[in-house]
Amino acid sequence: MFAWKHSVAAIAVAVAMAAGSAAADVKIGINVPLTGFAAADGKSALTGAQLAAEEANAAGGINGEKVELVVYDDQASPKESAPIATKLTAQDKVVAGISGSYSGATRAAAGVYQAAGTPFISAYAVHPDITRAGDFVFRTSFVGEVQGRAGAKLIGGMLGKKRVVMITLQNDFGKSLAAGFREAAGKFGITVVAEYPYSIKDRQFGPIVSKVKADKPEAIYASGYFFTAGPLVSQLRAAGIDVPVIGQEGYDSEKFIEIAGKAAEGVIITTSLDRDSDKAETKHFIAAFEKKAGYKADMVAASGHTAMKVLIEAMRKAGTTDKKAIRDAIAAAKVEASTGTISFNGLGEVRKDVQVQVVKDGAWHHHSVISDPDLLAPPSK
Amino acid sequence: MLAFELTVQGLVQGSIYALIAVGLTLVYGLLRILHVAHAGLFTLGGYFGVLITNATGSLPLAILVAMVVVGVLGILVYRLCYQPILDQPPYVALIASIGLFIAMEEIYRLVFGPFGISYTDAPLTDTVTLATLNLKQGEILTMVGTVVLIGGLAVFAGRTRMGAAWRATVTDPAMAESFGIDVIKVRYLNFFIGSALAAAAGVLVALLNNLVEPTMGSVPSYKALAIIVLGGLGDVRGTLIAALALGVIESFGTIYLGTILDRDAIAFAFLIIVLMIRPQGLFGRA
Amino acid sequence: MEYTVTLLILMGISIILALSLNLITGYCGQISLGHAAFYGAGAYCAAMMTKAGIPFGVALLAGTALAGALGVIVGLASLRVRHDFLAITTMGVGFLFLGVVRKQDWLGGEMGIFAIPDPGLSKTAYMVLVLVLAALVAAFSLYLKRTWMGFAFDAIADDEDTARMVGIDVPRYKLTAFAMGTALAGLAGGLYAHDIKYIGPDSFSFIESITILSMVVIGGIGSVPGVIFAAAALSVLPQWLQFIAEYKLLLYGGLLFAVMRFSPGGLAGMARGMAARARAGGAP
Repeated sequence: MFAWKHSVAAIAVAVAMAAGSAAADVKIGINVPLTGFAAADGKSALTGAQLAAEEANAAGGINGEKVELVVYDDQASPKESAPIATKLTAQDKVVAGISGSYSGATRAAAGVYQAAGTPFISAYAVHPDITRAGDFVFRTSFVGEVQGRAGAKLIGGMLGKKRVVMITLQNDFGKSLAAGFREAAGKFGITVVAEYPYSIKDRQFGPIVSKVKADKPEAIYASGYFFTAGPLVSQLRAAGIDVPVIGQEGYDSEKFIEIAGKAAEGVIITTSLDRDSDKAETKHFIAAFEKKAGYKADMVAASGHTAMKVLIEAMRKAGTTDKKAIRDAIAAAKVEASTGTISFNGLGEVRKDVQVQVVKDGAWHHHSVISDPDLLAPPSK
Repeated sequence: MLAFELTVQGLVQGSIYALIAVGLTLVYGLLRILHVAHAGLFTLGGYFGVLITNATGSLPLAILVAMVVVGVLGILVYRLCYQPILDQPPYVALIASIGLFIAMEEIYRLVFGPFGISYTDAPLTDTVTLATLNLKQGEILTMVGTVVLIGGLAVFAGRTRMGAAWRATVTDPAMAESFGIDVIKVRYLNFFIGSALAAAAGVLVALLNNLVEPTMGSVPSYKALAIIVLGGLGDVRGTLIAALALGVIESFGTIYLGTILDRDAIAFAFLIIVLMIRPQGLFGRA
Repeated sequence: MEYTVTLLILMGISIILALSLNLITGYCGQISLGHAAFYGAGAYCAAMMTKAGIPFGVALLAGTALAGALGVIVGLASLRVRHDFLAITTMGVGFLFLGVVRKQDWLGGEMGIFAIPDPGLSKTAYMVLVLVLAALVAAFSLYLKRTWMGFAFDAIADDEDTARMVGIDVPRYKLTAFAMGTALAGLAGGLYAHDIKYIGPDSFSFIESITILSMVVIGGIGSVPGVIFAAAALSVLPQWLQFIAEYKLLLYGGLLFAVMRFSPGGLAGMARGMAARARAGGAP
């Protein structure tokens, strides 16, 4: 028995060493889902981060050293991401890390990075507890609540619609959006007529659509991702419901328009990428990403790019590979990125404007910008 | 009026369940295998449906090709995967089937990409209005298609020589063999029909969602198992009724129980209650 | 070193988990497709308790007891159904467990439970604890096989009706197997929760149940060394296969299929076959 266990340990060590022996300049770790159900988002996030690394290397690297991305597939599972974070921090000796993964996996990894005193930036996971892992953990995307509040302002304040039905995705993303939306709803005179939950596995919304039709709302606040929102919106429109549908960054992909087709027209979302931006940084990213990936940029891609860019800029500022100095540089960052001007509050949550986009003539376009520091204040403890 | 709409929506979903579950129960009835990879063939049907429609512009052609090709693949799955392990305990085939299903999903992702594919010009999206009821043409096709396919199957089984041989084999394989029926051929036929029906379901779901993803089969992979158990394992008529009943129960449950239990949990709560009262399923014989 | 320790903890937990199912499925012949529910029940119970300030050891035991108690209830229900009906019923239990947990805000609902307190052990000490527990479970499994109870399990797994005819109290032994197996799954759950320090509904999904059953079947149903080996290997396989990133799950699925297709007795069966061939080949 015992001899056998030793040999397993020996194999584990040997395999791990073989994988981590490549000579490198300055290593940055990234965990992304490359297989399993979340592989689509993993691909975009990784390509975005790789683009940022290539751009940095083309511009001479970080303080003369080239960036090397160490990539591991976490299948969006906390069970995989926790050992990966250990491997990145303890074995590969990365100076900092990025999560291109979902909330559960990111939360599990955040604790490991914090314990190892290694800076960690979450690119697009929404769960509020992630940054509470400690002072080495940052997030360059909105927490769900902030975006939910922005949605309430958009519907109640800017569109002037008061009777709202919520269709809520049952996961941390949908739940935190719903919490933020309800919190701010009263302020903008919104009455939530009803809320219908659905599971991330659902693509057929017939029963909910029937009920929403009977509810006769003035607007629908529906959380989801492109693969649930596409079928949902087309089914709502097919049933003759023509009130505004308001979504969030989960919709933010060309694929949403492809799935929903004509029904996508007029759908408005809160997100962080402005397709019609006149900022050079954003324009450049949109063009460069499409060239590298072969498909149009989406929110997740921009988020992966932003997280990486913020980290690289901070490392340049810090001028050293000392992890504490890099952490301090991130905390003090003010970086122009594809998703806006990034700076952090005391908890490591991002402060930036919410971009509102609308589908017009089969493409995402600028609708408006919500820039309200009080309403959009992320949690600070 | 709402109750009526919910019932119709439940029947649309139930029709899809029925098309998938019938193939599964046929396989179980003949070979006592829980054929999880069946859901992988369903997904492949969806891919064929979209790809062929996009290439040729003809949905009927896509349905036909998807059914035939996937049907043949079903035979191959039986011949290469199940036949060599038929004499093993049932969990062997179950785990083999699950492994095959995982591998199939990953192959679809690698070949067709992780984002899923859609019709470039989605057919049958116009809405038909009957009183307050709005139905997409695709939804109507789903219900009509299910009736036609299952009805055709019933005629085939009841009125043809081949169908008679098939039924005899399901009832008593040894007896059928002694009457000179080629049992192997019957098994091929069985897998062909079951897989072709699943492929048809795949094309229809692709039409309803305008989206085929690598993981499209993951829900049917386990829910169809629940349905065939409800229907009494191997009982085609029971499976049909269970599929439609479950569609309607989920439809009402989504609205009225949605805050307590999700769709899957509603389905399985129903399953467990039924099995506690009737351990042999709704229509199974004890 | 730290990474190796992390992997050994994961292996140890998987070994306990797989051996726990082996008692139900391997020894007593009752296929369960919902074992993750009990794993989850133990994890949630232990995590909630340490979060409330209760010592780790007590919480771990409470999680074990709760999972075992749930196991008895499910076991009672499962006495009514047999064979494939049982497999699907247990699968239903798994989905029902998830469905209920998802909607309970006091259990974290969809958000899960984050920042589960550290058990106060160093990483290495925790590894020793997990491996010692795994060894104890393995020793218990081996011991059980030689007792009257082990014989009764065997008889039930072989043929329930015959077992009943020779006077074995089938329901009682089935319930015992369920109680022991699910309690140990709860133990594994408590250990898991305090290792990863985050749990959510998706940590205990249907896929997890399948993974556990795969470990048992791949190892060779009923074989303690086989199951231990398969659990250890399959639990770290995704980490070892990182270098083939995109093809990882494809290989995993393919492996499950290939072992069943070409060696239905699992790894234990394969080893027995090789040993037999070696003996035959060695003879002049």
